[in-house]
Amino acid sequence: MQPKLAAKVRCSDKEIGEITKVIVDPLSLQVSYVVIRQLGTDQIERQVPISEVQEISEKEVRLRGSSEEFGRFPTLDRGQYVTTKEIEIAHLEDHLHVEPGEVLVPLPGLEQDVPRRTFFTNMTHAIGMLIALPLVFPVLKYVMKPMYAPFDNQWFPVGNVRKIKKEDTGVQFKFKRKFKEAFMPVQNIEKNVWVVKASPELSKSVYDGKEKKFYDHKGDLVWVNKPNFPYIAYSGKCPHLGCGYKWRKIRKLPEPIFLCPCHLSFYDAAGKVLDGPAPRPLDVLPIQVNSAGEIKVIDVEYKAGVKQQVRVL
Amino acid sequence: MNGQPNTVDQPNPFEKVVAFVEERVGLKTIQAKMLNEPVPGGSRWAYAFGSCLLFIFIIQVVTGILLMFYYVPSTDHAYASTQYIIHEVDYGWFILSYHFWGSSVMVVMVFAHMSQVFLWGAYKSPRELVWLVGLALFGIVMAFGFTGYLLPWDQRAYWATVVGVEIMDKTPIIGDFMARFLKGGPTPGQMTISRFFVIHVMILPAALMGLAGLHIFLFRKAGPAGPFRGTPEELKAKTDYFFPRQVWKDIVVMASVFLITASLAFIEPVVLLEEATPDPGDYHPEPEWYFLFLFQLLRLKIFGGEFGQLLGSIVLPGAFMALLAALPFIDRNPERNIFKRPFALVGWIMVMAFIFIFTYSSVINREFLD
Repeated sequence: MQPKLAAKVRCSDKEIGEITKVIVDPLSLQVSYVVIRQLGTDQIERQVPISEVQEISEKEVRLRGSSEEFGRFPTLDRGQYVTTKEIEIAHLEDHLHVEPGEVLVPLPGLEQDVPRRTFFTNMTHAIGMLIALPLVFPVLKYVMKPMYAPFDNQWFPVGNVRKIKKEDTGVQFKFKRKFKEAFMPVQNIEKNVWVVKASPELSKSVYDGKEKKFYDHKGDLVWVNKPNFPYIAYSGKCPHLGCGYKWRKIRKLPEPIFLCPCHLSFYDAAGKVLDGPAPRPLDVLPIQVNSAGEIKVIDVEYKAGVKQQVRVL
Repeated sequence: MNGQPNTVDQPNPFEKVVAFVEERVGLKTIQAKMLNEPVPGGSRWAYAFGSCLLFIFIIQVVTGILLMFYYVPSTDHAYASTQYIIHEVDYGWFILSYHFWGSSVMVVMVFAHMSQVFLWGAYKSPRELVWLVGLALFGIVMAFGFTGYLLPWDQRAYWATVVGVEIMDKTPIIGDFMARFLKGGPTPGQMTISRFFVIHVMILPAALMGLAGLHIFLFRKAGPAGPFRGTPEELKAKTDYFFPRQVWKDIVVMASVFLITASLAFIEPVVLLEEATPDPGDYHPEPEWYFLFLFQLLRLKIFGGEFGQLLGSIVLPGAFMALLAALPFIDRNPERNIFKRPFALVGWIMVMAFIFIFTYSSVINREFLD
């Protein structure tokens, strides 16, 4: 039991005063001293270690020594201490119950005998849910508006095959395409594709003699690349994580390759992964070339980083 | 001025106002409780990181608000308005560069703060929740860096976002939704700027303020851990209050950090690359330096392919964060001395070495590309 404030203090021989303060150790959170105002004086407060307290009862606190020994304890030097109102000590209140008894305030009449507190609590939550739940769907639809746009299957002219001088070599074609997004004015954005004039061996490596089919978001067929067509266009987006790759010569290899500078994926002219982290070959685009040699492609994009081609644009 | 001396009985008007406010707010009690926090074992320079982070955040808020006076979050104006801030607005280059370097300094400080808490064993009982909220704050700081990076809408911004969002896309089940949600469509554009902007200037600051408040509240509730060595008597003998000695150390560190950040902004002001387009040209995409080690990790062959990528970009970082979150619950040994916790010490050194080696090797790889 902890000493109560204003408890009477007795020594072995007689009553010597009352407790006015307790001193707490900030680390152990235990009462370390009691401060006792000496009987018959107003000022003299002595500081007694808690180890000198023999017994604490409801009525009084009993010290071990005699009143003569009590007189030898040092007086309290108030300047050495602060009150717990001026300082924050974690969990102090959990440990100490130094109060002059209970402090009571009257309970208002209307609050007495209210039977359905739990009911009111639940109703409050239920009404909150009734406000929030109908908002979930509209809010989700609101933020999701632009997330799933239909695919754009327009053909874009990207350049002329005259630019390609050599077989089985990557040639970049930059093109501008119109792009209309939500409320924004139509913008011209720059994109690029890589076109390779394919030797029969390269064509075989890319198409394996099979037709390459392209579908729209409903699954309808949009275009078919024939396996014997001499021009192959690759999307400018690296199938690893969507960076832009280059056609370049590196020291280790005799022939130039497609190299993505982001995570160092290497592809050969047929788009096959030679080295690096890419999960699938370069993405072949729908391509057509007219009699004047003008190349047109559909700006198809696939999700990067997965083995299967998943069309996103 | 009227010749009457102020006495205790006749407070001057200023004292009256102070007394009026004090009676209604109780500021003095709050101030006393805030400043009179006992620091077991005494104030230390090592405890300055947390306060310093708060300081850095406040300056980021101030410079961020100033940037919004001119910045326009749209695909056709983001780049131009950022260039305008840099080249036309008086001291705009400084405000922007300070904000830019401030983010790097914040990441460094977060690492220092987390390391200190880890090495001091201060995440252990009863401070588990402080640690957990701290991890959430770490995530928010990284998210700040990621979303802020896009806003200038230059090539660097665009490509870091393209790759970053593609990585997020690899999260099982929710990845595709998350990536589309962030981009506001299949490719980055106006919707992406709008979304990154609102996340960067509204959602993240609100989340950070709330969680930082909770972090500090929980910390004060649990009390400072103090040094990991020393008997209770020694600690008590050295104990002082947060004010003035710790506040002094904090303010010195804050001033140094301010000087360093301002110097970086001055010596190396932000220069934009070309305006963002889906054609990277000669630019070699790279994220901000504090993401470089993750970026380099994904260059490894074992983290290639669909499965490897999931492993490298989601599973590995996710498992590491989960381990950090579980740390105070796994590590129940009350020993806090780092020299008596060999696993913790070796683990910390390994993580730091890993980050250093991978960051460094990604820098070396730059030469290989040129």
